[in-house]
Amino acid sequence: MTTDVTERALAVDVAISATELRQRYGDFEAVKGVSLAVRKGELFALLGTNGAGKTTTMEVLEGYRPATSGTVEVLGMDPYRKRRALSPRVGVMLQENGFLPDLTVAETVGLWRDLHAEPRSLDESLEMAGLADKAGVRIRQLSGGQKRRLDLVLSVIGRPEVLFLDEPTTGMDPEARRATWDLIRDLVKEGTTVLLTTHYLEEAEQLASRLAIMHKGEIQVEGTLEEVIARHGDRISFRLPAEIPLDDLPRIEGHSADIALAGGTPVVTYTITGGDQATRAHTALVPLLAWAGERGVALERLAVRTASLEDVFHSVVKETA
Amino acid sequence: MTDMAQAVRLARVDLTLVFRNRTALVNAVLLPLLIAGALASTDITGGTAGIPAAQYLMTGMMAFILIFATFMNLAGFYAGRREDLVLKRLLGGPASKAAILGGSALGATVVYLGQVVILCVLMAVVMDTGAPADVPLLLLGALLGAAFFSLLAMAVSGLSSTGEMAQIATLPVVLLLVGGSPVMLPQEILPETLRTPIEFLPMTPIVEIMRTAYLGLDYIGTSHEPLGLLERWSAALPSLGLLVAWIAVAALLARTFFRWDPRRG
Ligand SMILES: Nc1ncnc2c1ncn2[C@@H]1O[C@H](COP(=O)(O)OP(=O)(O)O)[C@@H](O)[C@H]1O
Ligand SMILES: [Mg+2]
Repeated sequence: MTTDVTERALAVDVAISATELRQRYGDFEAVKGVSLAVRKGELFALLGTNGAGKTTTMEVLEGYRPATSGTVEVLGMDPYRKRRALSPRVGVMLQENGFLPDLTVAETVGLWRDLHAEPRSLDESLEMAGLADKAGVRIRQLSGGQKRRLDLVLSVIGRPEVLFLDEPTTGMDPEARRATWDLIRDLVKEGTTVLLTTHYLEEAEQLASRLAIMHKGEIQVEGTLEEVIARHGDRISFRLPAEIPLDDLPRIEGHSADIALAGGTPVVTYTITGGDQATRAHTALVPLLAWAGERGVALERLAVRTASLEDVFHSVVKETA
Repeated sequence: MTDMAQAVRLARVDLTLVFRNRTALVNAVLLPLLIAGALASTDITGGTAGIPAAQYLMTGMMAFILIFATFMNLAGFYAGRREDLVLKRLLGGPASKAAILGGSALGATVVYLGQVVILCVLMAVVMDTGAPADVPLLLLGALLGAAFFSLLAMAVSGLSSTGEMAQIATLPVVLLLVGGSPVMLPQEILPETLRTPIEFLPMTPIVEIMRTAYLGLDYIGTSHEPLGLLERWSAALPSLGLLVAWIAVAALLARTFFRWDPRRG
């Protein structure tokens, strides 16, 4: 009874969800049982290598095709079957633009405004796109980054509650990317729920309140940035001193050492997970240095690496290779 | 916004683009007028099926030019825009499928109707044929013809991988559907064995309805006698029925073959 109520309370908060979503193309299964839930008002980032299945997942959620199996919901509705009811409330930016190249910027914005019931104004839209001085320019004259940003603006002209962004900053220079991040932050501030795919790790770090890393059709890691990094752990590594036998290495807080050969010399790596993320590397170093002191050895090439999203990403890709 | 309002808005964009794209402008707008104009200005003497040959030809042309704006060019538009992801992009927005597809069909139909008006003016003024006898029936024939070819354009676009391929793919279809139909020559001159199958081709009822509507003479039957209003519509009824059946077939083909996404599957 109580769990029922809690579950329903949670469900009210969820804007986008997938449960055990599978998607096949002929014999090939591109998405293999993906589950995710995006809460109202948050930005959720779906990270992954090319071919991971991000776009396929997005397109099912956007209502372009029905799921092969599993269920998906957007604002409590099946996006494929309730496309008409959802389309005024949902904004979609695809991985590739689909412009009519012979229209001008203003004509393109004008068309999208006219298709919506209560659109943003032309001036606001041009301003958001950073194209206020390019209103009369044909779309085909725009740079790749400018087109991308305009496409993003088209997808939010109707002030959608839910926004799907498939690699929104591809092809942008760093400056344009930052401006686009600001734009996306503003949209989240307005209350828009965003599901975004990217392969720029920094984009997820900058924008996402939660993220998932997808690889080969499956979500491998999911959580807040802190959670994902905390689970991955900090790494302490050094060269194994020549005179020390392997089984003499100390155990640190229950974490034993991994040995790998790097350029012919064995390198010891401790992975420190759990505990207080801010201090755990320090806490682990204390007994290690004491042990080295007792043995009278110096730990060559001693390195402490706090986990980064990049480490997590690479280990996901390596482990599932 | 209603489907209709969205379709009208999208049709406006298509009309703008037809005039910005030289190929589309030539193929969809100018070429059919050039052909009809050339026919009108040549001195064709003699008669066909009881009327001056030029009148017979021009009323046939009114139906025949459907294949330019509402078939060849439209099939190219649909396929090209699918490949350029324009259709998919629009589908991600608030417009319905019917509005997106109907918008382009509507734009093409407007171009076609404009051409029909020009042909009517040519006939009435230059050729001295007088005004159309039955404007509503003429319009109905034109609209049903446009609907049929627009749906067929959707189907052909789905079977082609580029806009250019789609335009080429319409050619054999045109030959099949138009060849032998009474666009230029009356069926009476054909051998009996060919006449019956040709009666059932989709172009035949379109031509017959429009010619009968314009001239006020019976070109659905073989009498070519003047018909009153009621006689015209009751004579046209079987042709209208056949055309509606063809529209249903074309709709089924469009449903089966049309694609929104360049990626298959
Ligand atoms: N329509 C399709 N037909 C066949 N295979 C497809 C189709 N769409 C995507 N794929 C395949 O599915 C996999 C996932 O693709 P996609 O979802 O685009 O990945 P991502 O967006 O993460 O790069 C890829 O291997 C891709 O080649
Ligand atoms: Mg993708």
